[in-house]
Amino acid sequence: MYLEESVKTIDSIKFTVFSPNQIRKYSVAEITTPETYDEDGIPIQGGLMDNRLGTLEPGQKCATCGNTTARCPGHYGHIELAEPVLHIAFVKVIYKLLLSICRVCGRLLISEAELESYRKRFTNECTFTPKCKEEIPKEMMAKAKKIKICPHCGKQQYEIEFTKPTIFHEITEEGGAIRLLPIAIRERFERIPDIDLKLLGFDPRSARPEWFILQVLPVPPLSVRPSITLESGIRSEDDLTHKLVDILRVNQRVRESKASGTPPLIVQDLVDLLQYHVTTYFDNEVSGIPQAHHRSGRPLKTISQRLKGKEGRFRGSLSGKRVDFSSRTVISPDPSLDISEVGVPLEVAKKVTVAEKVSSWNQGFLKNLVINGPSKYPGANYIIRPDGVKIRLDYVSDKETFANTLAPGFVVERHLMNGDIVIFNRQPSLHRMSIMAHYVKVLPFRTFRLHPAVCPPYNADFDGDEMNLHVPQSEEARSEALTLMKVQQQILSPRYGGPIIGAIRDFITAAYLLTKPETLLIKEEFSNLALAGGYNGPLPKPEINEPRELYTGIQLFSLFLPKDFNYTMTSKWTKSSGKGASVRDIMIKDGKLLSGSIDRAAIGAEEPDSVLHRIAKDYGIDVARNFLNSILSILKSFITKYGFSYGYDGLILDEEAKKMIDNEIKNSYRKIKESIDQFNQGTLKTVRGLSLEETLEFYIVNELAGARDRVGRTADKAFPLDNSGVVMARTGARGSSLNIGQMTAALGQQSVRGKRIEKGYHGRALSHFSLWDRTPDAKGFIRSNYRDGLNPTEFFFHAIGGREGLVDTAVRTQQSGYMQRRLINALEHLKVEYDLTVRDPFGNIVEFLYGEDGVDPAKSDHGKAVNVEHLVEIEALVNKSEKPVEEKQLEKIVNKYEGQLNIKLIQDLKASLLKIPLNVSGNKNVCRKVVEQLDRATIEPGEACGVVAAQSIGEPGTQMTLRTFHFAGVKERDVTLGLPRLIELVDARKQPSTPSMDIYLDDEHRSSEESALKIAKEILLTKVSDLVGYSEISYGERGYEINLFLDQEALQERDSSPEQIVKAISLKSGKRKVEVDEEGAISVTMEGADFSTLSVLKDKIMSMRVKGVPGIDHITIIKKGDEWMMQTAGSNLAKVLKIPGVDLSHTTTNNIYEIETALGIEAARAAHIKEIMSTLDEQGLEVDIRHILLVADLMTSKGFFQSIGRHGIAGQKPSVLARAAFEITVPTLVEASVKGEVEELKGVTENVIVGLPIPVGTGMIDLFMKSDKSD
Amino acid sequence: MKKNSEGEIRVKVTEHILVPRHEVLAPEEIEEVLKRYNAKIDQFPYILSTDPVVKEIGAKPGDLIKIIRKSATAGETIFFRYVVEE
Repeated sequence: MYLEESVKTIDSIKFTVFSPNQIRKYSVAEITTPETYDEDGIPIQGGLMDNRLGTLEPGQKCATCGNTTARCPGHYGHIELAEPVLHIAFVKVIYKLLLSICRVCGRLLISEAELESYRKRFTNECTFTPKCKEEIPKEMMAKAKKIKICPHCGKQQYEIEFTKPTIFHEITEEGGAIRLLPIAIRERFERIPDIDLKLLGFDPRSARPEWFILQVLPVPPLSVRPSITLESGIRSEDDLTHKLVDILRVNQRVRESKASGTPPLIVQDLVDLLQYHVTTYFDNEVSGIPQAHHRSGRPLKTISQRLKGKEGRFRGSLSGKRVDFSSRTVISPDPSLDISEVGVPLEVAKKVTVAEKVSSWNQGFLKNLVINGPSKYPGANYIIRPDGVKIRLDYVSDKETFANTLAPGFVVERHLMNGDIVIFNRQPSLHRMSIMAHYVKVLPFRTFRLHPAVCPPYNADFDGDEMNLHVPQSEEARSEALTLMKVQQQILSPRYGGPIIGAIRDFITAAYLLTKPETLLIKEEFSNLALAGGYNGPLPKPEINEPRELYTGIQLFSLFLPKDFNYTMTSKWTKSSGKGASVRDIMIKDGKLLSGSIDRAAIGAEEPDSVLHRIAKDYGIDVARNFLNSILSILKSFITKYGFSYGYDGLILDEEAKKMIDNEIKNSYRKIKESIDQFNQGTLKTVRGLSLEETLEFYIVNELAGARDRVGRTADKAFPLDNSGVVMARTGARGSSLNIGQMTAALGQQSVRGKRIEKGYHGRALSHFSLWDRTPDAKGFIRSNYRDGLNPTEFFFHAIGGREGLVDTAVRTQQSGYMQRRLINALEHLKVEYDLTVRDPFGNIVEFLYGEDGVDPAKSDHGKAVNVEHLVEIEALVNKSEKPVEEKQLEKIVNKYEGQLNIKLIQDLKASLLKIPLNVSGNKNVCRKVVEQLDRATIEPGEACGVVAAQSIGEPGTQMTLRTFHFAGVKERDVTLGLPRLIELVDARKQPSTPSMDIYLDDEHRSSEESALKIAKEILLTKVSDLVGYSEISYGERGYEINLFLDQEALQERDSSPEQIVKAISLKSGKRKVEVDEEGAISVTMEGADFSTLSVLKDKIMSMRVKGVPGIDHITIIKKGDEWMMQTAGSNLAKVLKIPGVDLSHTTTNNIYEIETALGIEAARAAHIKEIMSTLDEQGLEVDIRHILLVADLMTSKGFFQSIGRHGIAGQKPSVLARAAFEITVPTLVEASVKGEVEELKGVTENVIVGLPIPVGTGMIDLFMKSDKSD
Repeated sequence: MKKNSEGEIRVKVTEHILVPRHEVLAPEEIEEVLKRYNAKIDQFPYILSTDPVVKEIGAKPGDLIKIIRKSATAGETIFFRYVVEE
């Protein structure tokens, strides 16, 4: 069907406020009566359902435009209000205006001279004042508010009192409060001249302030508030209609009572009621007034509620699109599929179709499909004739004859068939690998089938997960899916530049079992397996000939490696057996596995620097896909035949091990009992910085953790290496040795908030224990294991600990989800331009070279632009040299490339080439290859690097722990880590929840502990209360006085004197007198003060600073290497840097804001990057630094830190729609219309909302034409 | 380490390891940079005139500052910031 209208694209959208006249102009009918239908159910003329406003029923014709429902857009009506009322959305603006304009002449309350200077600043062409320009209106309003006499007309100004939500009073000199009625406000606003409005940021042509007071109310068309007919035949009206009826009723009453001369007081009450109804019509969630309710008691959903929030118009309807040609069902695994395939149920394949244009090449094929029709697979559901008529094949009886009419130019909507490309997705779509293109494989039964190896990118499992499938309908869509979204294109994750798709679970077990040296295969097995992997070359020579021909699994694996592949690495098995990562046991030479067993480290998913990763990097994604497919299908066949299971018998320990475990635990219990006894007797030695109780707790927790580890290890060791559990844990297939320990030895300590379980009853966790029992059993230590089962109290403790885990997960998903949303919103519009700068759609530069080296993390080699070391190693194999190049000559060769390579690559090259000497041509080859590979790794223009960065930081957020506190080296210093810290950092909080400093010392002081301690005493904040042992208020001859008795020990420890205290107290003392008596006690008196004043003063004095840096609450001196330094709790960089003896160049803090103020934005940026990286590192999450650089560069691009969120970047976006769609919908729209803002549709969200292609990636391509300059 | 008139230590921020090298560009150089990036000067990232480093090197609003950063990916990288009034 072709549209008759010409196709137009939206160029821009201007936001304005309607004037009363405009409302009347656009109105097709004045609505006067609250009645909607007459007795016959016919809409009343002049009622709310007037048929001039549009039509609802399909047959009806619109009285205004003559169209039916499908074509009629709906038309506005209007209501003439009997008395003006305020528009609730503008009330804040009205209040501000009332405060800043003259009540008589309507001018801004600022003298003409000053106005002129502001005007100059406003129109100033200088571009280096962007921030202060925005501040002008605010500054002027603040100034005008204070002025009491109008500088223009000299009239007295009165104070304005605003009672929320809609009432204004003027407080006159005489003390009377006069109500400012909307009509009066309107009159005042009419007097404001345009020039003054412009200064205040208004666009007087878009929004005159008097229009904020409603005289006419627009009535939205019927299509905006359709009525629905229930099954019982009763009509149910929309909430807006209900509200409009209320308004009309009250409006009528106001008019009548005004006409009949009712006392003004009563009329005013009615007007207030009208104001209430109009207010709730716009916003039914205004604080201070009751909500309007439906008859059923449900609050009405009025205009504001329709727009706001997740399900509102902006986020729910405009940003979230619904699509056709999609399908959703449960997923299940199928390892016999290709990794790039998806199994589609036949039923689905018959419903979702592909539109294929008939040509002479496919005419016969499509004809057969048409003959098969909709019910027989493969068939077709629809045909579209060249004239645009769509024919449903269900209704065609003689399909054979019909099929013969098929000619080129027809379009056949045929069933989904094998080999079609589809887009497959699992929510939550946290990163781009959550949506990938698969080839269709039509299969029986009713689930989508996918290869288990693609579970990691989707984060899918098969416990009931559902996934969505979309069929691209146009050639453009299909080719984009094919070139950008295929599974093999997503093997390497842009988050860390390593493979995210690879072997998992049983494939890894199988790989180990196959490639361990003992595995031998007979010829039949070998050839069967090779065939399963798609091998069709000659059989290799058997490894063993006598007594029969036997092949090794290693030989089988080697068949599928590229023939010239060379690599050495460490297997997971070796790593987890504790032999260290230095042993490179997996050795591959010329495509032959020489030693080592293949396991997770070699072919696993999410394992960078593995065999799989190298193949993907060096041979390309298609080779990697084929390799994976072959290997995985061999492994599947192999393990199916080999057999692998883990059960109860795999958990049984021998008696000796059991005894050892038992003894180990008993031993720990005994030690703990001793400590508890010591504690009770008071002989326990405290650890520095901890109280006696904390010391005991610390000791017990450590002892128990140690005990659990030891018994776990004992159990682990007790099993033979061919135990299934051990095989799985050591190869990285599933589980860990901790899990084995928990199943067979002891579960260990259950914890809540990182502490032993304490809560439950008073003084005990469960009623089975006695009060204040500190033994392991009473506080949640589980000495049983899963194999033998838990006793009842242990079971309860286990449930308590388990519940915390569940709560943690629930809270975390929410928090990280919101963080991801904010990150995406802040970064979505950033893209790489053709000059490799990163810019927003307005051309503002965020980075001058993406990632500082222009390399795409997804194309990088585990973060590195080029893996120089590996290149040199390979070259050394090919180019065995007798005459290594000398260092000087090498420098010369490498230095030639300085223009093409960055400093780091040059350094890497020199270092690697020095380590493995090559001859001249070898050196030149390597250099050439580096340039070539760098070119290949360079990011492509148009890449939506912002979204990728946001996803790469947001996605690992879901995997982070929520645990806030963690001991970081020093016992006294708890530092916020994990997700809360990450959120704190992207929020750019001024005060982190756990500020902390690393203070380094200068040359004089860093060498000894004493000198460090001396400086620590200068830095540590010492308050009066720290030095006073006892204080009181006494009554003597001088009246009340405060007596402070000093703690001599503390004085010494803090290195302070009574004089310092006196000095501190006397500072800004005013009336108080401070004296020291012979015994060193300090007394403070104040003339005429009574007890209660002194009591307050005492508290004030106690918190006064004697010495030290404010904010530094705790200092720990530690030895780092051979120098002494300090770590603190609390932070104050600027002040600490002023303390003599502190190293000014290395001292840092985790409070980014302090760094910004003390050292500038660039230092703050560097520190911010460091903090984010270390937060992620600590959690063991790998994220490429380029993503973090981009976030930091964006946050600092305005010269100060902007937060990711509505108060920062998202709130500063120039696009109205993007801001409205993010969080603060209604106020954003109000502000935009007041300022007359224009939406230019340059960003991403805006274009999604209006339904245009987004200007990043393939949507960035556009036609440009050079116009003649003379035009 | 410098001391100001009251004898208080004045911290020299450019000596701190977190602070990269900042250089004020000459007008000709600005011209060249603007041409290279085909951008207006207000499209460059900003640095406030109140920034401690700006004050220390004596840059004025309207200047363009060249920042030579240490880079984890490229060894060294160049960034520009446009000095704006707060």
